[in-house]
Amino acid sequence: MAIARDRPAGEQGSFTAAGLLVPATLFVAIGLLVPIAILLRYSLNAFEPGKLMVDAFTIANYVKFFTDPFYLQVLWRTIRVSVACTAACLIFGFPLAYVLARTRSPYKNLLVMLVVLPLFVGNAVRAAGWMVAFGSKGFVNSTLMGMGMISTPLEIMYTETAVVIGIIAVNLPFMVLTLQSVIEGIDRNVEEAAFSLGAPPMAMARRVLFPLALPGILAGVILTFILAMNAYATPVLLGGPKFQTMGPLVFSTFAQQNNWPFGAAVSFVLMTATLVLTLLSSLLIRRSAR
Amino acid sequence: MASLTLDRLTKRYGDTTVVRDVSLDVRDGEFLVLLGPSGCGKTTTLRMIAGFVPPSEGSIRIGERPVTDLPPWKRNAGLVFQSYALFPHMTVAENVAFGLEMRKAEKAEIEPRVREALRLVRLDGYGDRYPRQLSGGQQQRVALARALAIRPDVLLLDEPLSNLDAKLRLEVRLEIRALQQQLGLTTVMVTHDQEEALTMADRLVVMSDGEVRQIGSQADLYETPTDLFVANFVGRSTMIAGTIYAPGAFRSEGGLELTCPPGPVTGLATMSLRPERLTIGPDAARLDNHMRGSVAFVSYLGGLLDVHVRLNDRDQVVVQIPNRGDVFVPAIGDQVEVGWPAAACLVFPRETN
Repeated sequence: MAIARDRPAGEQGSFTAAGLLVPATLFVAIGLLVPIAILLRYSLNAFEPGKLMVDAFTIANYVKFFTDPFYLQVLWRTIRVSVACTAACLIFGFPLAYVLARTRSPYKNLLVMLVVLPLFVGNAVRAAGWMVAFGSKGFVNSTLMGMGMISTPLEIMYTETAVVIGIIAVNLPFMVLTLQSVIEGIDRNVEEAAFSLGAPPMAMARRVLFPLALPGILAGVILTFILAMNAYATPVLLGGPKFQTMGPLVFSTFAQQNNWPFGAAVSFVLMTATLVLTLLSSLLIRRSAR
Repeated sequence: MASLTLDRLTKRYGDTTVVRDVSLDVRDGEFLVLLGPSGCGKTTTLRMIAGFVPPSEGSIRIGERPVTDLPPWKRNAGLVFQSYALFPHMTVAENVAFGLEMRKAEKAEIEPRVREALRLVRLDGYGDRYPRQLSGGQQQRVALARALAIRPDVLLLDEPLSNLDAKLRLEVRLEIRALQQQLGLTTVMVTHDQEEALTMADRLVVMSDGEVRQIGSQADLYETPTDLFVANFVGRSTMIAGTIYAPGAFRSEGGLELTCPPGPVTGLATMSLRPERLTIGPDAARLDNHMRGSVAFVSYLGGLLDVHVRLNDRDQVVVQIPNRGDVFVPAIGDQVEVGWPAAACLVFPRETN
């Protein structure tokens, strides 16, 4: 009714709105959809070592990926690392986001800044810092050995552990900020109502807080999962040459082997896997919240 | 249901004391209202009873059970919030069942108790709806049903009506009061609305600046307020500043000689007058205090007329007359006779501020 009455103004408004949407739409179309379409076409081309890319229409690149245990291993490793990082970000991030959202401290903005601060440092720079810390003569090992807690240096660099820790550090702020904004929108009184009705904190969180924070949990999980699946600098620097994940694989196929058709196919596998797993995880989270 | 005892309850945040030495006994089945302006400490007091604010000093007992150090979920106090605070992701029935589930009640027991609670607030058949599908008044009643379903020892209401529109508020307050009496609920309600407080309460507690100013029935607060704050806050008063220079003799700053009941007050004083205890017109001449004045302002309030009468340069009174249709309505500038009996005078020491 209110909508009907506002119709003329609304029409005018939506006309303006459409106008405002044009630049962004064009940008997305030209900057994202067109390259993807080209990439899709490339992935169906053939590769001949002497001639590089040859026009064709074949699924050979995809067959190659899914029949070679090496590539399947890389895909599986990427997914495993991403799931682990996302789960860790959620587990570490939620309490932090809750405190940030609920604190009445005058230093709240400062605390938020501290969470955001790591984002000011580029991934590569940060990973370089981790390399110094994790190395066999690095900060962690020399401290532990100095305290006599270990006798031989821990192998952290160039392991999955190093990559997981590195990606968590990169992604945690995204998770925290996403969750914080959603938790801030939840009426504090709702939590208190649950307490007064006899719910201890864990029961309150399970029955009231988590379900209400679900949109934030979903957004945070999707965001960090996509970032983890596509991570590049962190796995390259902390994982080393032997620890291959999908992001670096795409790059090396394109740039080092000059195999554009296969690189395009790898890109498409990565994109599809990310999309499918993201949808799957959101379904899973939605169902578990019921 | 049980009684509720607050003993010298105090809450300090740093150097600021927001609640000071509040002692109260709420009898089993009594409806007690904490009344006061915003920032007077009434909500903090309620939140201490509910367990959300740890007191700095003092103790709280529900029945014989000391609860001062218990967390909210172990107090068995039903709380209704100003914002209702319904769980938006649960149906009405799930909201009401929540407290029972937390008490690990059997499924077979939960269902009839939910139905019973919804019937009490006249929302039978609304169990499958979500809070957002209900009106404000209905949400309010769901909040009440949810608090009642756990069979709380005390019911705590935090400004429960202030989000409702004026007409609905009148209905709901009678409804809550009827339900409270029917079930014999020990109830503490916080409000800043004196009409609401007067309608619903068995006893009222007037608070200001974190302290209890007076505890008593509606008549106690209105007829014998203990201080100027209560006289001003409960009902309406007009004030005349002056001095008590002999027992029962008051001289206003404008020079009026007035008779009042002899009392303990001497020296600088303020006389407080209820507008409806004053008379205007020829009848005023028979009263202990009477004088001429000129009408400064008339507000026509429908059922009542407020006539502001200027007595001299400094003193002015408000006379309230019922609008019966046959009364003489003075016009601005009219010279009128105003009077009041000595018994209508409430005299308090002048507050120095």
